[in-house]
Amino acid sequence: MKQYWALLCMNLAGLPQRFGLVLTIVIGVGCAVGVLVSMLAMGAGARREAMGNVRPDRAVILSTGALGPGQSSIPKNVATLIGGEPGIRRNAAGKPVAPAQLFVFVQARDRVSGARIGFPVIGVTAGLSDYSPELHLTAGRLFQPGLRELIASNSCAHNYADFTRGDRHAMRGGDWQVVGNFDMGNSAGTCVVFADADVVQGTFSRTDYNQVNVMLESAASFEVLSRALKANPGMHVEARHEADLVEEDMKGFTGILKFVSYFVGSIMAAAATLAAANSLYAMIDGRRRELATLRALGFGARAVTASVLTESILLALPGALLGAALAWVLFNGFTASPFGFTFHLAVTGPIVAIGVSWALAMGLLGGVLPAVRAARIPVTVALRAV
Amino acid sequence: MKFLPLIWSGIWRKPVRTILIVLQVAVAFTLFGVLQGMKTGVEEAIARTRADLLMVFPNVFGEPPLPLAYLSRLRTVPGVKSVTFADGLLGTYQKPDQPVYVLAIDPDDIWLTLIPGIFQVLPQDLQALRNTRAGALITPDMARKYGWKVGDRIPLTSPILQRDGSGNWAFDVVGTFTAHEPGSGYIVANYKYLDESRVAAKGTVRNFYVVAADPHRAAVAAETIDRTFANSPSETNTASLRENAQQGLKAIGDLNFVVRSIVSAVFVALLFATATMMMQSIRERTPELAVLKILGFTQRGLFLLIVAEVAVMSVAGALIGLALALLAFPYVGSWIPGLSMPPQVIGVGVAVACLVALVCAALPARRAARLSVVDALANR
Repeated sequence: MKQYWALLCMNLAGLPQRFGLVLTIVIGVGCAVGVLVSMLAMGAGARREAMGNVRPDRAVILSTGALGPGQSSIPKNVATLIGGEPGIRRNAAGKPVAPAQLFVFVQARDRVSGARIGFPVIGVTAGLSDYSPELHLTAGRLFQPGLRELIASNSCAHNYADFTRGDRHAMRGGDWQVVGNFDMGNSAGTCVVFADADVVQGTFSRTDYNQVNVMLESAASFEVLSRALKANPGMHVEARHEADLVEEDMKGFTGILKFVSYFVGSIMAAAATLAAANSLYAMIDGRRRELATLRALGFGARAVTASVLTESILLALPGALLGAALAWVLFNGFTASPFGFTFHLAVTGPIVAIGVSWALAMGLLGGVLPAVRAARIPVTVALRAV
Repeated sequence: MKFLPLIWSGIWRKPVRTILIVLQVAVAFTLFGVLQGMKTGVEEAIARTRADLLMVFPNVFGEPPLPLAYLSRLRTVPGVKSVTFADGLLGTYQKPDQPVYVLAIDPDDIWLTLIPGIFQVLPQDLQALRNTRAGALITPDMARKYGWKVGDRIPLTSPILQRDGSGNWAFDVVGTFTAHEPGSGYIVANYKYLDESRVAAKGTVRNFYVVAADPHRAAVAAETIDRTFANSPSETNTASLRENAQQGLKAIGDLNFVVRSIVSAVFVALLFATATMMMQSIRERTPELAVLKILGFTQRGLFLLIVAEVAVMSVAGALIGLALALLAFPYVGSWIPGLSMPPQVIGVGVAVACLVALVCAALPARRAARLSVVDALANR
């Protein structure tokens, strides 16, 4: 153990002389960790964006067995009945907070390029502001029931034409007055448009809703509501946790992102490991005589191996920190929209931890062969070189 | 030529070091090949799609289909060369988990050249479809999957009801066509048969295909079409095939940035590592290089010798890496349909490898060339 410490100190003291080789390890590991952390930050950012507004005391009611709102259809009378079920919070006026929504996909035009982009118009019945307290109007007012009025998120206003308050937006052969713009709490990145459900139904010849959103009395009321709905199979609806639906919606996207991150990350890590091994070999080669002398003096093979391995890991560490720091400086909060979905990259603690542990693994793997070699330098051969 | 053995022995002076360098280059170029291949492949796929072919769909997703009566009006829109249409029927074959989509078309000659990248049919097969009312063309894939052959009668079950009130449909296989989209489980039948046999939605189609007379003015024609049907019960949404492809892969625009960043990170690490290793190698070989100089090697000769060594390692590594990328590509690219590795990526890769070699070798080679013989031999 004493030998190990002495050797380690000696190794580290010799590093400045081999600055180029040290830098190779640091930069190699740094690049690999930087890329891995940045890619994972995309996934984390997307998740944060999507889950930002999720609350445990909200539930979404869909047709039984529907995988998403697109496959769900809830008739008007059922939507009214849902309001009377237990576990649903009531607003100041004593009405249940259970706005029904229907989605219609129409086309908008990109502000700059004029290219067409599909976006959802959400027709919603009374209770939107009670259900979504995070909806914060930055300009104008809410739409009025019965009128062709809509409110658009600021993301729509920034990216697409005719969505700023005061604009007239042409949809389905008629002009809609944009009466307000809003931000949606933590997820400001997506374009969402709200309008009155009855008007949307009338204009787009729909009769049913896609889903009913309910604010629960508390997170625990979910079970109460769920059981009540199950007891009434005629309604053919079921309650789902908001978080579960978002999670399902994100699954494909984060799956691809995760695969790409780890695919690219492991290739870069392999390259960094090879570079580290090569540099360490060169370092060991440069110290053949020194190491052989130490062995002749009675330093154990195990101590030599351990000290070289430790050195390798210690060299990978600044690389990891460099990579994570670069990723943070360059990309934290950076807006990305791959796959047509906008979010901010988030370099979080757990991600940095993953990056650092990968770096340690690179150091360890890269150090094994050189460490073994260092311990195996035949004493006689090396001393003969003197 | 006579220096080849010298270069060779220089490369294998430290075999482990050389192997590690070549491996590192190979790994870096695997990543380069896959990412660059994906980027270029997507761009090519978009460029291959037709800009003059317009697809006319209902304006709102999930709206009722368009009336067939639009056909004659579309033909009169200025800038339109030819128009055809398609409708579809979703059925299942024998089991509910074996879906078969029936693309119902008017077997007009226009289909011979309409969407060559997706759909190819021979004139005799199209003629056979014209001759048989309930005829159908199948893909070789479908034929293999279900054991169908020409002359068979395929029974399908569909939620779209027939005149007799049942959802049972039957098609006679009369020929084949080729579908280039992976996993496309569809067969082609006569629109007339479908429309005359069904109870509901008579006289409607899923979409129209409009060929614009001038590809450069296709966008104008699309605008005109949408304006023609604005404020009618069935508003249209017209976009060219290329516009649709760009829409679907718009995301890739951002991905380009990601690809560029990753590739630069890989090459920064690679350049640095290789240059350092070469520096180290030159330092260790100083006496040998001095001997070469004494034997009459010029500065230029030594410089080229070192550059050649690095170039051999770099190009060898790049070729291994690109070969690996080629092997890995079908697996990695599987989530983008119809993507293949463009051959020019290999060329670009080899060029980049030469560049890497030159940049990495420049400094060490200069040092080797400028070496002072006396100092070197005195080990100073």
